Amino acid sequence: MPAGDAFTPDQLYDIEKAVQHAEEVSGLHFSVYVGGADEETRPFAIELLNELDDPDSSVLVYVDPAGRRLEIVTGSQAKRQLSDVAAGLAALTMQTSFAAGDLTGGLVTGVQQLGTHAHQPPLLHASDELHKL
Amino acid sequence: MIVELSGHSLLVFVGIPVLVVAVLALLVFASSIADGPRYRPGLSWWAPPVWINGPTATKPDPANLPELPALNSAPGATATAGTGIARTIGGASASW
Repeated sequence: MPAGDAFTPDQLYDIEKAVQHAEEVSGLHFSVYVGGADEETRPFAIELLNELDDPDSSVLVYVDPAGRRLEIVTGSQAKRQLSDVAAGLAALTMQTSFAAGDLTGGLVTGVQQLGTHAHQPPLLHASDELHKL
Repeated sequence: MIVELSGHSLLVFVGIPVLVVAVLALLVFASSIADGPRYRPGLSWWAPPVWINGPTATKPDPANLPELPALNSAPGATATAGTGIARTIGGASASW
C-alpha cells in the first residue's frame, strides 16, 4: 500500500463491491466518504450529499476517522426506502467495527445492511403473472 | 569459571539465536508491514480523503451549457440531475 493511503486496493475493491451490490438491491445511489471535516460533521455530510448527481435518491455514508464520527445521510426519495431507524441500525453495526479499528469491515457490512434495508420487493399485484392464476 | 569463546562458538551461541529471533519477528510483523499503517481509534488520521462512488467528474459546467430551448422542449426530463439540492434529509449519526 502506498504510504498515506487509507485503504489498500483490495480493501477499496471490497467497499466498492458492497456499494455496487447495495445499489443493485435498492435502486438508490450509494456513496462513501472517508476523511476529516472542516466543520461540524452533519452539515459537512449534507454538503457532500448535495454534491452528488442525484442527492434526493442518494445515501451518503460519511466517516471521520480522526473525529470518530459517522454520519449516514439520506435524500428525500431515499428516505422513503431507508428509514432513520434502519439507518441507525446500520450505524450501530459500523460503529462496533470502527471502534475495533476495522474501517473496511465496518463499511462493507454497514453498506450491505443499508442496501438490504432499502431493498424494495417487486410489486406482485402489478405483475401480469398474477392475473393468470 | 571463565569460558573463553572462540569465533566459532560466538557464531553458534549468539549468531544463530539472533538469526532465529530475527526470522520469527519478520514472520510476525510481515503482514502488518505489507498492509501499511492501520487505523487506530483515538490516534490521528494520516490519509487524504477518499470518496467512493462520489460525484461524476463530467458534471456539466453551467458556463458551457449549449442552449436553453432544450429545457423548454422537455421540461420534465431535467428534474434535479447534477444540480439538485436534497430537500428532506434523513439518516443517522454515531460516534465511537
